[in-house]
Amino acid sequence: MSTKVVIKQSTYFDSVSLMSLSTKANQIEGVEQAVIAMGTDMNKEVLKNVGLLTPELEAAKTSDLMIVVKAATDELCESALMAIEELFKKKGGSKSATEIKYSTIDSAAASIPEANLAVISVNGAFAAREARKALENDLHVMLFSDNVSIEEEIALKQFAHEKGLLMMGPDCGTAIIGNVALCFGNAVRKGNIGIVGASGTGSQEVSVRIHDFGGGITQLIGTGGRDLSEQVGGIMMLDGIKALEEDEATKVIVLISKPPAPSVQEKVLAQVKSCKKPVVVYFIGGEETAVLEAGGHFAKTSKEAAIKAVVLAGANEDELNKRALNWPLIEEVRAKLTPEQKYVRGLFCGGTLCDEAMYLAMDKYEDVYSNIQKKADYKLKNIHESKAHTFLDMGDDDFTNGKPHPMIDPSTRIARFLEEAKDPSVGVILMDFILGFGSHEDPVGVMLPAIIEAKAQAAKEGRHLEILGYVLGTDLDTPNFDEQVKKLMDAGVTIASSSTNAGLLAREFVAKGE
Amino acid sequence: MARANFSGTVHSIFERTINLTCSENGELYTIGNHQLDNAPNTLIIDVKGFSELGLSVNTPVITEDSTLVIGTDLRIWIQQATKWEGELPSYPCDIEGIDVLRRNVAFTKNYVDVYGKTGGMKMSSQPASPFEKEMSRMLIQRAGMLSDDLANNRIGSATQHAISLIGLGPGLTPSGDDFLVGLCSVYKMRNISSCLACPFFDEIIRSSQALTNEISAITLKKAAHGQVRESLNNLLSCMVSGSMEELVPALDKIIGIGSSSGTDILLGILCGLERNLEAGGNVCLPKS
Repeated sequence: MSTKVVIKQSTYFDSVSLMSLSTKANQIEGVEQAVIAMGTDMNKEVLKNVGLLTPELEAAKTSDLMIVVKAATDELCESALMAIEELFKKKGGSKSATEIKYSTIDSAAASIPEANLAVISVNGAFAAREARKALENDLHVMLFSDNVSIEEEIALKQFAHEKGLLMMGPDCGTAIIGNVALCFGNAVRKGNIGIVGASGTGSQEVSVRIHDFGGGITQLIGTGGRDLSEQVGGIMMLDGIKALEEDEATKVIVLISKPPAPSVQEKVLAQVKSCKKPVVVYFIGGEETAVLEAGGHFAKTSKEAAIKAVVLAGANEDELNKRALNWPLIEEVRAKLTPEQKYVRGLFCGGTLCDEAMYLAMDKYEDVYSNIQKKADYKLKNIHESKAHTFLDMGDDDFTNGKPHPMIDPSTRIARFLEEAKDPSVGVILMDFILGFGSHEDPVGVMLPAIIEAKAQAAKEGRHLEILGYVLGTDLDTPNFDEQVKKLMDAGVTIASSSTNAGLLAREFVAKGE
Repeated sequence: MARANFSGTVHSIFERTINLTCSENGELYTIGNHQLDNAPNTLIIDVKGFSELGLSVNTPVITEDSTLVIGTDLRIWIQQATKWEGELPSYPCDIEGIDVLRRNVAFTKNYVDVYGKTGGMKMSSQPASPFEKEMSRMLIQRAGMLSDDLANNRIGSATQHAISLIGLGPGLTPSGDDFLVGLCSVYKMRNISSCLACPFFDEIIRSSQALTNEISAITLKKAAHGQVRESLNNLLSCMVSGSMEELVPALDKIIGIGSSSGTDILLGILCGLERNLEAGGNVCLPKS
């Protein structure tokens, strides 16, 4: 190991340059450690503590600049010092934009004039301010942060609207812009269908189904979950429809949301009516009549939304593999369950996937409980205790307060799964496994030990535990879709081909006397 | 400069500032471009930058007919310059004021956690080198000991720990110096609840001459006399009586100073304010 020292006498560089030079010096190939600092006694003390102090450095004055390089050989030290000298000459020279970290939106916008979109994920207390800065710099915004007040959201969206910019969010977790998935998204082929979604995993599901049916996406514009509330008034969804209507590549538009506020639904459907392109409307739990009156194409489920979109976009419906419900399988599972095993327990990472399964169950059963139930009587009082048919959105604030989302950290869901698996009244446990950008690197893998354990325990007690899994992803996603499915099947898990089928299968598995 | 009889030499040249050594008192004076805020010993002029003006270190500087003449090529007309005198705000001495300050201190702590720059007092999660890691460790440890001494009114020990920070840290103005600038600015506020005796500040001024470079030493000296740049006065005013909306831009301005300097200054301010909020009670009346 060799150490070389250079003392630049009475040399002053501003702090930003010094820090930048120091960082770059430490990145020079072959350099184990590089130090560029003023020659103060205290800095020499630090050098001594890390074993770099030399007599030459001892003699440096407070106004001198000390440069120390430690590398494997003398030659490497020398070449590093030459490289550092070059850096001094350039005083922080240029780097490609991809390597540069900017500390503010203003500096990033100034340095990358061709940029037109900012993805913002900061503490909610500061998110609105950063978003406004981005809009002021004429950047479209995807605001991942939550905990932004509704007043701030309205102000931001109005400002963006005035400037002709997209304000996706706050709390917008999914978008695909220019074929690039942002935050949570899937690898789907490019196509001619545009999506505006107020539901993150709902948008993911529809985009993935469109891909599965051979279609593709132009843009997936997220709005954030509150966009269709009475207060916000659907500003982003309305602008999103307009943007997709003006986009030449988009032939069909799909809207996805939980049920909007009535007045907002009216506004959105008025825009659907005036839109020159076909619009598929999938408002989970929504009503068909109003959509049809507006000239829209109503979809009751995410699968139906995808099928309608690809057909409107030019696919031949007769040639589609619609992945019909497997009735022989339903009969087979029903035969395995005891009369006591009456209930579905859904443990979801995706809020919209939970919603869809819950609404499908509600079509058939009365006693459907959830932490996200709209019906007050069926909203769980204690989210840690299931009742009858229970569907849990484990990505909801109820579960994620102070903890990571289950798409990132599955531990909460694993614990709950093991609890549900012990309940003799449970007929089927339904779970989603979300692949793609931003998700866990092996969502199935982390659940497998618990699944195997629960299955074995149920068998020991002489009951069949039906576990139904749905893997949300495409053949282009990472981790590999087929491998994830195979792992589940090998563990005895039944696989649903879509969110819709998952909900239908779950409710039918536990149906009695049919 | 105000008397228009300045003489000295160019000490150092940066893009946005040049420093001049005054031959009369040996102090540094700064000429800054319009991007800089007002500060002690600082003249702000309407110029884009200094690095391309062909100036060199040790160039003589004189005043001539209300003009500051630097070398042969640069003349600055100072007749119409207005004098700026910053003033630190008063520390609140009523319950409501203390509550506002407490709220703003809590907000600022959170803000520094999120936006503060690492590399100095705020340790990076991925230090660039063992040197950087050790430096941050020492800074944090020594600032902690100083804070603890102040909390327990051990002024002698506090003085020693303050001195142990001088000259410690990366950058032109070492982080330890920046931290002390922030701390001094708090303890120099009028009506501050925990007074620090003059020897504490005198010792900082004296030690800084030997332990840090001249540019940092003059900043520290001024802060120890209660003279700080305008953005720092503004920030302290916002801390004492401002709303969140007023506080955030003031914080941004400070965080934008240097590389980690602004963050280090803020941590010094927080340290000082927290100690005083804990102490509460006695109000040190301004001397008549």
